[in-house]
Amino acid sequence: MNPDVVLAIPALVESGALPPAAAPRLLRIARGELVSVHAELRALLYAGVLLLTGGVGLLVRQNLDRIGPVAIATVLGLAAAAALAWVARVAPPFSWQEVASPNLAFDYILLLGILLVAADLAYCEVQLGLPASHRSWHLLIVAGLAGLAAFRFDSRVAFSLSLTTFAAWRGVALADAGTARAWGASGAWRWNAIACGILFAGLGLGLAHWRRKAHFEPVAVHLGCLLALGGIAAGMDDPAWGAALLLAGAALAGVAYRTRRFPLFAYGVVAAYAGVTRLLAELFHDAALGCLWLAASSAMMIAGLLVAHRRMKEPA
Amino acid sequence: MTPELDRADRAAAVRAAARSWRRAGVIDDAALAAAESAFPDDRVRAGPVFRVLLFLFTVVAVSGVLGFLAAGLGGHDQALATLAAVAGAALLALTELQVGVLRRRQGGTEAATSLLGIGLLLAAAAWFLLGARRMEAAEGVPMLCALAAALAGAAAWRWGYPLYAALGTAAALAALAHLPAGRAVWIALALAAAPALPRLSESPRLPPAHRSSAMAVLLVALGGLYLAVHVGSWEQRLVERLGGRDPGPSPPVSLSSPHGSLPWWLAMAATALVPVLVLAAGLRRRRLPLLLAGTVAAVASLATFQQYLRLEPAWLVLTGAGALWIAVVLGLWRYLDSGPAGERGGFTAAPLLTDARRQAALEVGAAVLTLQPEARAAGDERPFEGGGGRSGGAGATGEL
Repeated sequence: MNPDVVLAIPALVESGALPPAAAPRLLRIARGELVSVHAELRALLYAGVLLLTGGVGLLVRQNLDRIGPVAIATVLGLAAAAALAWVARVAPPFSWQEVASPNLAFDYILLLGILLVAADLAYCEVQLGLPASHRSWHLLIVAGLAGLAAFRFDSRVAFSLSLTTFAAWRGVALADAGTARAWGASGAWRWNAIACGILFAGLGLGLAHWRRKAHFEPVAVHLGCLLALGGIAAGMDDPAWGAALLLAGAALAGVAYRTRRFPLFAYGVVAAYAGVTRLLAELFHDAALGCLWLAASSAMMIAGLLVAHRRMKEPA
Repeated sequence: MTPELDRADRAAAVRAAARSWRRAGVIDDAALAAAESAFPDDRVRAGPVFRVLLFLFTVVAVSGVLGFLAAGLGGHDQALATLAAVAGAALLALTELQVGVLRRRQGGTEAATSLLGIGLLLAAAAWFLLGARRMEAAEGVPMLCALAAALAGAAAWRWGYPLYAALGTAAALAALAHLPAGRAVWIALALAAAPALPRLSESPRLPPAHRSSAMAVLLVALGGLYLAVHVGSWEQRLVERLGGRDPGPSPPVSLSSPHGSLPWWLAMAATALVPVLVLAAGLRRRRLPLLLAGTVAAVASLATFQQYLRLEPAWLVLTGAGALWIAVVLGLWRYLDSGPAGERGGFTAAPLLTDARRQAALEVGAAVLTLQPEARAAGDERPFEGGGGRSGGAGATGEL
């Protein structure tokens, strides 16, 4: 319901800006006489998938002994197969370009199938008693399967699941950034995060360069940048990592500025600011001086951002 | 709200609609340019990313200045409170300057100064009431809540921020909870306002921001109504506790008892009825915010009933609810899709003017946040231990 648009449509038709044939339908939408619940239905489906897979997780945990491993693995496998079979049946032919989803439920039934496969694999890995050195290989397998499914069925959600599962296999989760795990002394998390970040960003750029599912590029590049910057930031106990964050952030902001990638520009600006503040924190032993730095530097950032915005022209 | 700002917001609404028509392919670039020139923008705006950055750095800059000044004042309470009051008033004046003379709108900085201004004035008032006047919390907190409601309401009215309208309503409810019949007042006010607010949210006479504010007030009022009549809130005396009063003894009959008292059954009926009424209103008026609020309330009511009915086992409840939920959504989609021209009762499952790129980005963001499996610990190859997978990961965590 938008009364201003209702009033504007006849004027736009009269001025020739709007085709008269389109006006009745647009008027219905503006008056609230026709409402799309497309996004809401997709969100509700996603919530249903989360509920169902949450229940499956509990089922496996609580009934490990009572039901028996074969029954659990079989039921999970059958459910996953049913979901994936439906997806395969209705899926359009493969293409390296973007493919329209055949229906509203497609992405989420695919996601349900992958998550059930993941649960089944994790369960089987434990039940089969694989040697300790092989633990968590199911994460790599799931990452591969989700990646294959993402490319075959053109699903960004499955692609993001593939990347986050691969990172989890390397011991990295975005949720860990800023926690004790990320700030641990070993540095393993940090290096894995940086490596995964570079790998994902490189994958995204490669996809865009070779025009193979180029629309997946933002998913990989955004996740990659966040992981890499988070990994570098995790080492900021040491001022050298502050310098690294400053350089990485400034480089990212520079590239994003030239290519008009607004969110990447924001990641770069915030990272560079955090890096330089970390470096200067070595000099400030007085809280008042630190506050003065924050005030002055932020004022300069605001001025710089206003200039950058004028040149980049991000649509409001 | 000034007439200039009102006109600017109305033109912005038309330009936004024209951009959505362009995305949907209804008009071409030339038509979009014509629409944008017919409804020109006289405001200084920033895109969403720059808006967030400008907001963030404004907050840091103002906090830095205040921190520097506070350090100079040496931690004297009265001086700090005076600083907060002066800075708060100055920031509100700065907001007015930006929105008025400087013609800023959706620029990030004016939102930051308004938020900080309100927060600082409230902090100064808190010191004055609870520190200088040594008021008891039972007296001072309702006055602070009322002041917060007034400040947020005035900011929403003057500068057109629906978020402040929602916060102001929540603060007013918190103040009213301190009245002896706070719960009844919550119910009465929501019922009294409910018929008028949906009409206001559609009124062409109001500026777009005030229409959105009316919807925001309605949603918070309905949330208050639901909390006031909810059976669990009644049992736990949540509104009375929020009002800072001794909730007194629990109701005479346990809620888990099948022989509940009349008020218990009334609360139970109201817990079921409110979501139905909100959903019905959303369907009748075709308003998505009401439909979403009704859905959230319905889920909360179902979860409540599940608690009282003690449905078990939990895995079966979750799996069954998830499967049923998916089936209902798919059924709804098929029902809408099979209607004449893909619509029924004014609703359609087709995307219409949805921004597909934005929706895809939101879906991927949600998936990354909720579905990322728990990372295995580097170098930690633990044997299997029970302990629970994360919701949505479906055991993809390695910890089942």
